[in-house]
Amino acid sequence: MTAIVWELEWRIATARKRLFVLNVVVPLLLVVPVAAGAAPAVHAAAVYTVLFAIFSTFGSAIPLVRDGESGLSGRVLRAGVAPASYFLQRTAAGAVIDVLQLGPALAVAAVGAGAGPRAFLLVLVVLAATVWVANLLGVLVAAATRSLAEAALFAAVSTLLLLHASGVFRTPVPESFGAALESVAPFRVLHEALLSVSLMTPVRGGTALGVWCVVMAVVTWVLAGRLTGSLRVSRRS
Amino acid sequence: MSGPDAGPGTDPNAGPGSNPAFDPLVRAVAVSYRYGSGAPALDGVDLEGRPGEIVTLVGPNGAGKSTLLRLLAGDLAPDAGALHLPSRRSAAGRVATGYAGEEACHFESLSGTHNAVFFARAAGLGREEAEAAVREQFDLLGLGEDASRPVSTYSFGARRKLLLVEALAHRPTLTLLDEPFAGLDLDSREALADLLRERSAEGGTVMMASHDLDLLPQLADRIVFMHDARVVAGGSPDELLASMPDVARFEVTLAGSFDSTGLVRSEGTTLVDGGDPLILESERGQAALPEVCLALAAAGARIRRVVVKDAGLAAVFRSVTGAELDG
Repeated sequence: MTAIVWELEWRIATARKRLFVLNVVVPLLLVVPVAAGAAPAVHAAAVYTVLFAIFSTFGSAIPLVRDGESGLSGRVLRAGVAPASYFLQRTAAGAVIDVLQLGPALAVAAVGAGAGPRAFLLVLVVLAATVWVANLLGVLVAAATRSLAEAALFAAVSTLLLLHASGVFRTPVPESFGAALESVAPFRVLHEALLSVSLMTPVRGGTALGVWCVVMAVVTWVLAGRLTGSLRVSRRS
Repeated sequence: MSGPDAGPGTDPNAGPGSNPAFDPLVRAVAVSYRYGSGAPALDGVDLEGRPGEIVTLVGPNGAGKSTLLRLLAGDLAPDAGALHLPSRRSAAGRVATGYAGEEACHFESLSGTHNAVFFARAAGLGREEAEAAVREQFDLLGLGEDASRPVSTYSFGARRKLLLVEALAHRPTLTLLDEPFAGLDLDSREALADLLRERSAEGGTVMMASHDLDLLPQLADRIVFMHDARVVAGGSPDELLASMPDVARFEVTLAGSFDSTGLVRSEGTTLVDGGDPLILESERGQAALPEVCLALAAAGARIRRVVVKDAGLAAVFRSVTGAELDG
């Protein structure tokens, strides 16, 4: 199977110019006041991490549920696209598009924190890996829900729980259970990378994020046939 | 393999277009399905389609036609019974089935060409092959001028045509179409009929649900009547029509309004439609015309014109099921 879904997603993204611009502008509108407002680094990093994670999870789950409801996903799968190929190509395109759309907001956040090009590049790479995981999380959320409202709720709850597990909302306590959980949670690295641009703190957990990237992709690949169960048939039937 | 009320004495799975020398390409055996806890949408349905055959499912809304097509398309799984379907892909890597259902959903922001080429490539065609096939079918169905416009600007008819192109461009072995003629203009209907005949001549099986009773006698090799989730009768159009040789249909155009409730009907005459034109059918053939006219005049109707026709498939369906096709 050639990369026809990847190609399709790019075609749709470029055809919907207004939506693309909105997805660049809205994160900027949220990030600029924080970056320009001299917010403490820990607060700013938390805001950015929440924004980027939720942006990607919602951006993956909601369109997938919508396409399931309209019958479009079912048509694509029935037409001959393999479920795993459908999810992974769609997610890959979604993640790259997310990076392009969040890139300007990330640049503002990094410049506002006084980051140099090297630090910005590091946090950009971490963002790319994180939105890949968040997009795959969105696929799992979409497959587990039965409506757009449920998808929004489940996406918010699952992302916020993972953000909490990643230590975004609390002061770290060394050698605690929370610290152990943090070390393997998916959004920790992005949080630390965003902190490091202003506090020069070390960024740890890169391996854990790499494992998340691979494991989530493998889980999606293995479960793809089952994930289509709720997406394949139009829910209006 | 006929249903419980099978008849007019014909096997729903036999017809002149169906060559018993070929194994069926698709077969449903005692298939049942229900949506949730509702009434059965299909109840013990037997059906088969052979290579080179155009099979049309005819029945009122809710008879189970669309559900049966969705099962054959792999969209639903039967609750009971068995489906024998062709391999998912041919040796050449092409998807064997082409399905156009009721929902004309597309990628709205993309052009018709981009939509159709995507589906053709998903079905196994290479890029250039897909583009050529789509271009050809767009021209055939009169969609060429709309090809580069976003689908969000398409009319209902154009969306239906696009859906058909998406189902047919890869030349599937098994073509499943739900009301393919709905929303099409006359030229496009003819073009689509030719396209389906071509698919059949190439050895493909075409199975469709249609209310288009005027076109079916010329197009379908076999017509299968469905009613209340079951297959109730079937046969070639000629066989079905020949089962009611004496029935005539009178289409009466009236001057002014007329309340048909006071109309006294002679034995064997049925008021099919009290609208304009008024439609009556008689089991005594054209000989009933004077009586029909007299009865109408006695009821106060002012007759402008009467068209006499042979009984149609609707009359055959009524005689088998006691129900109206549009009911």
